[in-house]
Amino acid sequence: MKIKFGWLDLLIYLVFIVFALVTLVPFTLAIMVSFSAESSVAMHGYKFIPEQFSLDAYKMIFQDSMVFNAYKVTIFVTVAGTFVSLLFSSLLGYMMSVQKVKYRNIIAFLIFIPIVFSAGLVPWYIVVSNVLHLKNTVWALILPLAISPFNVFLLRNYYKSISPALAESAEIDGAGPWYTFYKIMIPLSKPILATVGLFASLGYWNDFTTSLWLIDDRKLFTVQFLLYRINSMIAYMSQHANMSAVLLPSETIVFAMFLITIGPIILVYPYVQKYFVKGIMIGSVKG
Amino acid sequence: MKLTTSIAKELWTNRAYYLMALPGLLLLIAFAYLPYPGMLIAFKNFNPIQGIFGSPWSGFDNFKFLFSNDDILRITFNTFWINANQILWGTILAVVFAILLNEIKNNAVKKWFQSILFLPYFFSFVIVGKLILLIFANENGLANGLIQIFHGMPKEWYAVPEYWVKIIVSAGVWKNVGYSVIIYLAAITSINDEMMEAASLDGASRIQKIRYIMLPNLIPTIITLTLLAIGKIFFGDFALIYAIVENNGLLYPTTDVIETYIYRALINGGQEYGMITAIGLYQSILGFIVVLGSNWLVKRYDKDYSLF
Repeated sequence: MKIKFGWLDLLIYLVFIVFALVTLVPFTLAIMVSFSAESSVAMHGYKFIPEQFSLDAYKMIFQDSMVFNAYKVTIFVTVAGTFVSLLFSSLLGYMMSVQKVKYRNIIAFLIFIPIVFSAGLVPWYIVVSNVLHLKNTVWALILPLAISPFNVFLLRNYYKSISPALAESAEIDGAGPWYTFYKIMIPLSKPILATVGLFASLGYWNDFTTSLWLIDDRKLFTVQFLLYRINSMIAYMSQHANMSAVLLPSETIVFAMFLITIGPIILVYPYVQKYFVKGIMIGSVKG
Repeated sequence: MKLTTSIAKELWTNRAYYLMALPGLLLLIAFAYLPYPGMLIAFKNFNPIQGIFGSPWSGFDNFKFLFSNDDILRITFNTFWINANQILWGTILAVVFAILLNEIKNNAVKKWFQSILFLPYFFSFVIVGKLILLIFANENGLANGLIQIFHGMPKEWYAVPEYWVKIIVSAGVWKNVGYSVIIYLAAITSINDEMMEAASLDGASRIQKIRYIMLPNLIPTIITLTLLAIGKIFFGDFALIYAIVENNGLLYPTTDVIETYIYRALINGGQEYGMITAIGLYQSILGFIVVLGSNWLVKRYDKDYSLF
């Protein structure tokens, strides 16, 4: 089959190339700055080719054990959080898709209400810190983000698209609901699980606002929150100029943290990408 | 009596399924429903020692105080305006990108473009703030560098509030567009192939197919996503805006939203829990009204498209 390459295709390529430039130019610049010497950045500004190559920023970051600890916390939070989130959300989504469960729509409504009506920050904060006592615990970083109503509905719609005959015949053969879920539904829903799993893990990996409210303990800093803290510390120091008389790798360090926070995600992405469209495709059919 | 027995019977017969829902529901109750009673604080002269229920009532004092200063109007408008622009441009761009991406026949290229569209979604907000700084820094920024190449006058970007709604909206759209593109792309892929082929046989051009088949088929998805977004239109994107503006007071006139305002009130040692909760209630009620209203409009247009 011969594919024609017309003016429309040219236009399409142009649009995406522009978007790619808008994304990749600052991205590359950020990485280049992270490998520059602080003094040359201070003197010559941000350059695509470092005037003076230097690993000082990275040395400074890794010299402190904090970043390793922050990695540990972030990896734990992301892995445990994604697991909890996927397990609970898929169970919820599956039960809401089963026709014979009479109150499934009441439960769907319960999940829907918080999307349109939330209690607000102060009541939420009081519950999390004074009722559930999660302040400065690792669970504060995991549990509040675990159930995303949007993801639950994506999962429900996916399970709805699987023929109920499958579960019925398993039941006739003597399988209980849990067995059916574990042995039939989970394998069949891999694409949507991969998609929702990626959204959930990105949510955990990039979250810094939860830490802002609930974490003071340095042992529980995540990489994103550490980056945020370093960034605001530098801002503070530059406002109180005499403190930065010694030229700390301040600008470069923030961009080095950038590479440190984003590296692992980019490495994982290709493995998940292939499931992507397929997963959402079936999940987002309106139902 | 009969009702309770029939409920009990249903719960017992399908106990395995209700048990499946339990852990997720418990989390939802803990983090979304338990805070609801706390909204009473809006009508109280709250102090932490007496707690939510023990603190004395203050009627509408918190609200009166809230609306007595001009800030509330400004931050409400800013919140609404930034979000409305993000919803509008975000939807347009996501739909356009999804359609264009679908038109690419070379699978390798398609995959590359899709990855690049999604790349900014990986960036944390702090980083987005720093990238914006790389571009708009008064000295050394990319934007001023470009202006100087064309012998223009460099601009003091970080001192002029007028630029920043556009910058924040663009940054938000740029960061999140990949996510919506995936959802729209999925909706396009689920369009019946036969319909497309029949159109081709009838001699429809690509543009015609986009206009008369794809777009109409995308409308339900567009409406659902927009309605969900409208529910949050009075809730500012704290992470994005705070990461970009930080504590630059010069930019507050256009960029200060409800969340950043509350954050400063709390950080500066304000103990105004009553007032802050009142703001939260005000946001939720406004959001609720807007969702109900737009849902009603959609329902009038076509019943099948509405959320509820």
